[in-house]
Amino acid sequence: MSDIKKSLDYFAVNLKKYWKGLLLVVVLTIISTWFQVKAPTYMGNAITELSKYLTKYLNPATRSQASLNYFYNALWALLLFNVMNVVTMLISSLWTSRINALSTNQMRIGLFSKLQKMTVRYFDRHQDGKILSLFTSDLDNIFNAMNQAIFELISQAALYVGTIWIMFSLNVKMALATVASTPLVIIVALFIVRKARHNIDLQQEEIGKLNGYINEQINGEKIIITNGLQQQSLTGFKEKNEKVRKATFKGQLYSGLLFPLMQGLSLLNLAIVIAFGSWMVVNDNIEKAVGLGLIVMFVQYSQQYFQPITQITSMFSMLQLALTGAKRLADVHAQPEEKINSAGRKLTEIKKGVELKNIHFGYDENKEILHGLNIQVEKGKMIALVGPTGSGKTTVMNLLNRFYDIADGEILFDGNDINELNLKSLRKNVGIVLQDSVLFTGTIIENIKFGKPEATYEEMVSAAKQAHIHEFIVSLPEGYETKISDADSLFSTGQKQLISIARTILTNPPFLILDEATSNVDMVTEEKIQKAMDNVIAGRTSFVIAHRLKTIIKADDIIVLKDGNIIEEGNHQQLLKEKGFYYELYTNQMVFE
Amino acid sequence: MEILKPYLKNNISSIIGAVITVVVLAVSSLWQPRLLQNIMKAIISDDTTAVKNYGVQLIVLAVIGIIAGIICTYFSAKIAQSVTTDLRADVYNKIQTFSFGNIEKFSSGSLVVRLINDMNQVLNLIMTVFMQLFRIPILFVGAFVLGIMTIPRLWWIEVLMIVCILALSGIVFSKMGRFFAKFQKWMDRLNTIAQESMQGIRVVKSFNQEENEITKFTTSSDSIQGLHLSIGYLFSLMIPAFTLISNLMILLAIYFVGIGVTDHPSDLAAIASFISYLMQLMFAIIIGAMTMMMSSRGLISLGRIKEVLETNPDVNYKKDVPKKDLDGSVEFKNVSFSYPNSKEPSLHNISFKVKSGETIGIVGATGSGKTSMAQLIPRLYDPTKGTVYVGDSNLREVDEASLRRTVSYVLQRAILFSGTIAENLRQGKRDASEEELRWAAEVSQAAEFIDRYEDGFEHKIEERSANLSGGQKQRLSIARGLIGKPKILILDDSTSALDAKSEKKVQEALERDLKGTTVFIIAEKIASVLQADKILVLDNGELVAAGKHKELLQTSPIYKEIYDAQVSIDNKKRGE
Repeated sequence: MSDIKKSLDYFAVNLKKYWKGLLLVVVLTIISTWFQVKAPTYMGNAITELSKYLTKYLNPATRSQASLNYFYNALWALLLFNVMNVVTMLISSLWTSRINALSTNQMRIGLFSKLQKMTVRYFDRHQDGKILSLFTSDLDNIFNAMNQAIFELISQAALYVGTIWIMFSLNVKMALATVASTPLVIIVALFIVRKARHNIDLQQEEIGKLNGYINEQINGEKIIITNGLQQQSLTGFKEKNEKVRKATFKGQLYSGLLFPLMQGLSLLNLAIVIAFGSWMVVNDNIEKAVGLGLIVMFVQYSQQYFQPITQITSMFSMLQLALTGAKRLADVHAQPEEKINSAGRKLTEIKKGVELKNIHFGYDENKEILHGLNIQVEKGKMIALVGPTGSGKTTVMNLLNRFYDIADGEILFDGNDINELNLKSLRKNVGIVLQDSVLFTGTIIENIKFGKPEATYEEMVSAAKQAHIHEFIVSLPEGYETKISDADSLFSTGQKQLISIARTILTNPPFLILDEATSNVDMVTEEKIQKAMDNVIAGRTSFVIAHRLKTIIKADDIIVLKDGNIIEEGNHQQLLKEKGFYYELYTNQMVFE
Repeated sequence: MEILKPYLKNNISSIIGAVITVVVLAVSSLWQPRLLQNIMKAIISDDTTAVKNYGVQLIVLAVIGIIAGIICTYFSAKIAQSVTTDLRADVYNKIQTFSFGNIEKFSSGSLVVRLINDMNQVLNLIMTVFMQLFRIPILFVGAFVLGIMTIPRLWWIEVLMIVCILALSGIVFSKMGRFFAKFQKWMDRLNTIAQESMQGIRVVKSFNQEENEITKFTTSSDSIQGLHLSIGYLFSLMIPAFTLISNLMILLAIYFVGIGVTDHPSDLAAIASFISYLMQLMFAIIIGAMTMMMSSRGLISLGRIKEVLETNPDVNYKKDVPKKDLDGSVEFKNVSFSYPNSKEPSLHNISFKVKSGETIGIVGATGSGKTSMAQLIPRLYDPTKGTVYVGDSNLREVDEASLRRTVSYVLQRAILFSGTIAENLRQGKRDASEEELRWAAEVSQAAEFIDRYEDGFEHKIEERSANLSGGQKQRLSIARGLIGKPKILILDDSTSALDAKSEKKVQEALERDLKGTTVFIIAEKIASVLQADKILVLDNGELVAAGKHKELLQTSPIYKEIYDAQVSIDNKKRGE
C-alpha cells in the first residue's frame, strides 16, 4: 500500500463518524463561497448605478429622472450577500472546529489505547522518545493541518473555482487578464517552496548537530569543569555554530521569501488588472458607468483570486507533515497486538507449582539466548537465578509473565500451558518487582494502589508497613497524599524500590518474580530492602534474579545460568562444595578482609 | 530587547537596509490605491494618455514592491543569522565560565533548553520584527491618513472600524492567550502520562492496568478536547466577525458616497481606493495583534537567555597570579560550606591536613558531606568560611590551569562524550601518547575490555555511552582522571559499578603506579578504604574522627557502628 493511501485511509477511518458533519461543512462552504464571489458584482452594480445616476443628475435635461433606487437595491443585495456569506461561514467554521477537536481527540485516545495493547517487544525495540513523538509531533502536525489546512483547502479551492467562474461570466477579457500570470506565479511559488524546504532541512540538520553537541557538552559540563576543558568545548561549539550561521541565512531567506513575494505578486497582478481594465474601458468604448463598476469588481476579484494561490502554497508543507504523521500513526495501528487469550483457561491460584520444560528462546530469530532450560518450582519455594550479565536471567522473567512468547518448549502453571491461559489471569497471579523501579506522577497513594485501585486505605498502609516505607511516608508533611513524579528526587533509588515492593504486596500475587536491584544504596535503606524482600517473598512461590549473596543464601534452590544454559543447581552449601562456577562467583565477591 | 542591542549594533547596515526596504514596501502598497483613484478619474474624464501613464506607474510600483520585499527578506535573514549565532556563542561562552554551583542552580537540562528552544524563539522573533513589526505602524498610519485624504468627510468610518476591530481583537487575543497557557499545561500533563506509561509498560502490563491507564489518559485528553473546542469556537467567531465588520464598513462607505455624490462627484472615482485603505487598515491591526501575540513568546525566551548572560560565575580565578607547581598536600582550615541554594550548611568547621602521597579514605552515611568536602579540593565550590590549601597555597590565590593540572576529580556519575575512547581519555591530558593511554587503561582495569575491540582505543563511544556498561564507563572515567598523573586524585565513589575483584585491582595498581599521588577515596563500603593511610569519618557535615582503620575502631563509635553494620551483613553472607 502506498504511503499516501495509508495516510488517507487513516484520515478516512478517523473521520468516518463525522461524515454528516463533514458533508454539512462542505455544502455550507460552497454556499458561503457562492455568496462571497457573488457579492462584488453587487458592489460593481452599485458603482455603475451611482455613476449612471450622477451622469443623469449632472445633465439638467435628465436630472428629474435621476433616482438612487437602483443604487439602493444593489446595496441591499450586497448587504444580504455579505450577511449570508458570514452566517454560512460561521456555521461551517463552528462545525469544522467541532469535528477537528473531536476527531483529533479520538486519534489521540486511539493511539494510546493501541499502544497499551501492543507487545513488550515493540517497546523494547523502539525508543521511548520515538514513540512519544507520535503524540508530541505527529498528532500535533495533524491537528495543526486539520485546523489550518485541510478544511481551508476545501474553502480555498471552492473560492478559486468560484472566482474563476464568476470572472469569466462577467467579462472574458478581464478574466483572462486576471489569470494570465497564474502559471508563472505557480512556478515561482513552487520553486520558492521547494528551495525553502530544502534549505530549511539543511538548516535543521546543522542545528540538529549543534543541538546534539550542546546537549552532550552541557550535560557533561561537570567533566568539562573538573578537567579544565572549557576551551576545547568552545572550539567544538564554534565550528558547529559557524555551520549553523551559514545554513540559517539560506533557510531563513527562502522560507521568509514566500510571504512577501506572493503578496507582491498579488499586488502586481492587481496592477495589471487595473491597467488592462482601464485601457480596455477607454479603448473599447465601454460605457463609463459600466467600466467603473467593472474595475471595482475586478479589483475585488483579483484579490479573491490570488488568495487561494497564496494560501495553498503556504499550506503545502503543513499538509505534507500531516500526511507523514498520519502514515506513521497508520503504521502503529497496523502493528500486531498482544494475544490476550480472553477465552483461555483462567488461572485462579497456584496449587502445585511452575515448570519450565526445554525452553528455547531468542529476541532475534537467528540469535538464541536460552538453549533448552528446565526448571521446576514447587509451591511456596524460592528459586534464585544467578549468573553473569547476559546469561539470560532477565529473559526468564520476560517469559514467565508472557512479556515475550517462547519459541520452543513449554511453561506450565499447575500443568497448564502458559499459551493457553487467559493472559489477564496469568498476570494477576504473577507479580513482578523490577530492577529499576518505576513511579508514576501522582500521589503516593495512587502509586501504591497502582495494581489494585480499589484497595482500602488500611490495606494500603499495611502494605507500606510490610515494605518498610510507611515510616518515611508519614514523616513527609503531606504523608500519603504527597505528590510525586518519577523525575523528582523526593525518593532515593532504594526508597523507590520499597514503594514498588509495597505495590506488589498489595496485589498479593501467589507467584512472584523479583529482579533484585544492583545499585548501591546506603546502609539503612539496604537493611530495609532486605526486610521488605523477606516479607514479599514469604509464603509465595518465587523466582529471584539475585545479585546479593545474602538473598541467594535464603533460596531453596539456586540455579546458575551461564550463556543461556544451566550449569549448576542446588542449595548454597551443595554448590560451594562443588567448587565450580558458583564457588568462583562467591569467593570473588567476598574480598572483605 | 535590551540584551540584543550590542548584537544589533554589529548589523547596523543590514538594519538600515531592512528598515528602508520595509518603508518602501509599505509605501508602495499604500500608494497603489492612490493610483487606482487617479486612473478612475482619468476614465471618467476620458483621458487616454493619463490612463496609460497611471497604468504603467501601477505596474512599476508593484515591481518595486516585489524587489523591496525580496531585499527586506534578505536583510532580515542576515540580521537573524548574525544575531542568533553571535548570541548563542556568547551564551555558550558564558556557560563555560560557570562553576558547579551555577550549573546546579539552572540545572543542565534548563541550560540546554535555553540554548536550543529559546534560541529558536529568538530567531523567529527577529525575523518577525524586521519583516512585520516595522511595517505595521507605517501601514496603519499611512492607510489611515491616506484614507482620510481620499474622502475626508468619511473619516468617521475609519475611526469606527478601528474601534470595532481593536475591541474585538482585544477580547479575542486576551482570551486566546489564557486558553493557550492552559492548553500547554494540559498538553504537558498528557505527554507525561504517555511517557510514563511507555517507560513503565512492564509494570502496567504485569498489574493488568492497561484499562485504567487508558481511562486516565482519556480524562486528560477530553480536557484538551474541551480546550480545543473553546479555542476553535473562538477562532470560528473571529474570522466571520472581522469579515462582517469590514463588509459593513465598506457598505457604509458606498452608501454615504452615494447619498452625497451630487455634492461631491469626484468621490465616485475615490470609492475604490477608499475601500482599499479600509482593508489595509484592518489587516494592519489584525496582523499587528497576531505578531504581538507571537512576539510575546520570543520576548519570554529572550528574558530566559538574559538570565544566563547576567549570571556571574560564583567561583572566580585570579588572572594575574603566576603558574605554580603545587605538590600533593592538602589542608582544610576551619572550613564551613553551604550550597548556594540552601540555608543548611553542609560542612561545619572542618580542619585536617594531608601529606603529599598519602591515601585518604572518606566515609560516612549518605548526606554526611563526603562529596561536598571533596569538591572543595579542586575548587568546584568556594567554602563559605575558612580556607582550603593545596600544596601550601590558598586555593583563592592559584590560577585555574595549575590547579586542574594538580588535582583530578573522578565524578560519581561517569560521563563520557561521543567520540573514540582515545579522545575521551585525552580529555585528561591533551597530548597523551599511545603508551600513556595504555598505561592509564591498565591501571583503571579498562585495558581488558578495550583490547577486545578490534579497533582498541579508536573504538567509538556512542551518544549517551549506550554501547558501554556502567562498569566500563567508570573504568574509562578513572583512566581519564589519572592519565595526567595528577598530584592529587579524588575518586568519588567511582568504583561503585565495579565488582570487588576489579575494585581491588584498581587500588593495587594505583598504589604501585601512582606512588607520589595523594589519593582521596570516597566510599560507601568501608572495605574500599581499609588500607588508607588515614580515614576521615564524616557525620552530618562534621569531621568526627580521623585515623587509621584500627585506631578508629577503638576511638570512633560512629565508625565502629558503620563497620559493624557492614561486617554483620557480610558475615551472614559468609556463614552458614
